[in-house]
Amino acid sequence: MRLALIHAVAQLRQLARYPMFLVPTLALPVGFYALFGLPQSRSDPTVLMASFAAYAILGVAFFQFGVGIAIEREEPWEAYLRTLPASAAVRFAGRLGSALVFAAASVAPVLILAAATRPISLSAVGWLRLAFVLGAGAVPLGLLGIALGYWVPAKGALPVANLLYLGFAYAGGLWTGPRGLPHALATIGPYLPTRQWGDVLWSAARGGGVGGRHWLALFGFSVAFAVAAAAGYRRDEGRRFR
Amino acid sequence: MSAVTAAALEGVSKSFGRTVALDGVDLSVACGEIHALLGPNGAGKTTALSTLVGLRRPDAGRARLFGCDPRRSASRLRLGCTPQETSLPQTLTVRETLDLVRAHYPQPRATQELLETFDLVPHARRQVGGLSGGQRRRLSVALAFAGAPSLLVLDEPTAGLDVASRRVLWAAIRRHAAAGGAVLLSTHQLEEAEALAGRVTVIAAGRVRAEGTVDAVRARAGLARIRIAATGVPEVPGVVRRELLNGATMLYVRDAGEVVRELVRHDASLEGLEVTPATLEEAFVALTEDAP
Repeated sequence: MRLALIHAVAQLRQLARYPMFLVPTLALPVGFYALFGLPQSRSDPTVLMASFAAYAILGVAFFQFGVGIAIEREEPWEAYLRTLPASAAVRFAGRLGSALVFAAASVAPVLILAAATRPISLSAVGWLRLAFVLGAGAVPLGLLGIALGYWVPAKGALPVANLLYLGFAYAGGLWTGPRGLPHALATIGPYLPTRQWGDVLWSAARGGGVGGRHWLALFGFSVAFAVAAAAGYRRDEGRRFR
Repeated sequence: MSAVTAAALEGVSKSFGRTVALDGVDLSVACGEIHALLGPNGAGKTTALSTLVGLRRPDAGRARLFGCDPRRSASRLRLGCTPQETSLPQTLTVRETLDLVRAHYPQPRATQELLETFDLVPHARRQVGGLSGGQRRRLSVALAFAGAPSLLVLDEPTAGLDVASRRVLWAAIRRHAAAGGAVLLSTHQLEEAEALAGRVTVIAAGRVRAEGTVDAVRARAGLARIRIAATGVPEVPGVVRRELLNGATMLYVRDAGEVVRELVRHDASLEGLEVTPATLEEAFVALTEDAP
């Protein structure tokens, strides 16, 4: 536990000292919200805020997990860390810890800007529920990011992550809501983890109950992505140093 | 073996695709011993060391650290290694990097002591990306010592070190062994093995070619090269390897005098005769063909 924390802190320090990483990670979600979310005055402001917060988490899942793992696993420093007396679980927990900090740091400006400029109708319990749903949806997408990191080589990771990131965000309705999508995309939507997550989020944002069907779908996506991530990790052990 | 075995490879084989990197390699390092793994580039030294420290799973045979499987993290508590110098995290400071590694061990060396030993005191607060090549090398080496390990595994530790830094490292390695620690280092320089090691394992093309004291291995790898500016040199006993190069014949031999006497007895041409000590590289190639 102590070691996981030390790894998380070391990773945060490394990333925080790259302005080229730090600024886009923190500024992009809130910038997107300001440009594309705020002008949508006819949409429910709470629903919009929730969507753009999910979009911020999606970025951390695909880029910090996905691209980060794909690049680091090919570096000799990662091989060196594997010779230290720490299990894979410790290093993994460290990565999760630093990702959570970045997710919180990129979501917070979206929430603050929304609360400051739009009429957000959430009780204290409503805010907590929203935070919980945001965190719950981060699990399957974080696992998808990890699977991506272990299956895609470093050079391919960035374009693949961008494709999935933009595609999943748009087709899941995170930018426009499901009714703003072309008909074809709206029909495949339910097969995407982002759309299932969105349905849960929008319901929570409206203060409504959440159907078990969506939770079941998110759970199913989590299991599938976890299996893919674990298979990728095992496969990587044998091929990493060829 | 008299002392406790710190590290061992037992019949380890490892292939990558169709390339055989290690073929039934045995190796053992005792506590208090400096052991050199000597071989030309591409011999399998790095594969052997990375199997020993748990980075790779052998296809056959097994690796042991103090009797335990190196792939279990607890087995690596008494192990210290060096990372490749180019791979250090660029944005951490020297002190942060040392402390990150120290945190993994129950009784690490003091950071200040490491900084002093490896001449890094003035650079403790600088980010690694801003260090010179030599300073980074010294930091890499300091990381191997950070956990006060019983066993040091060093892959080509002096490659890229200036003379002063190399002396510092050699002294630290000798102190470590004198205090009862074990050292396994890989090198392609016989001189380095001679300067440091008590025992040497020679590896070439993935197989152990010789193992023993430095003197014994030097006698075995110490070949002479006879060059004759003619072809059609007759077969004589005592030749480890022969090759033709640009119309000249090269003979790698243990006893040059005896072979020349044989050639004279066969009335062979001795045009442009040259006798020189074979380089280690040439000796390895010859020994590879002369496999025991």
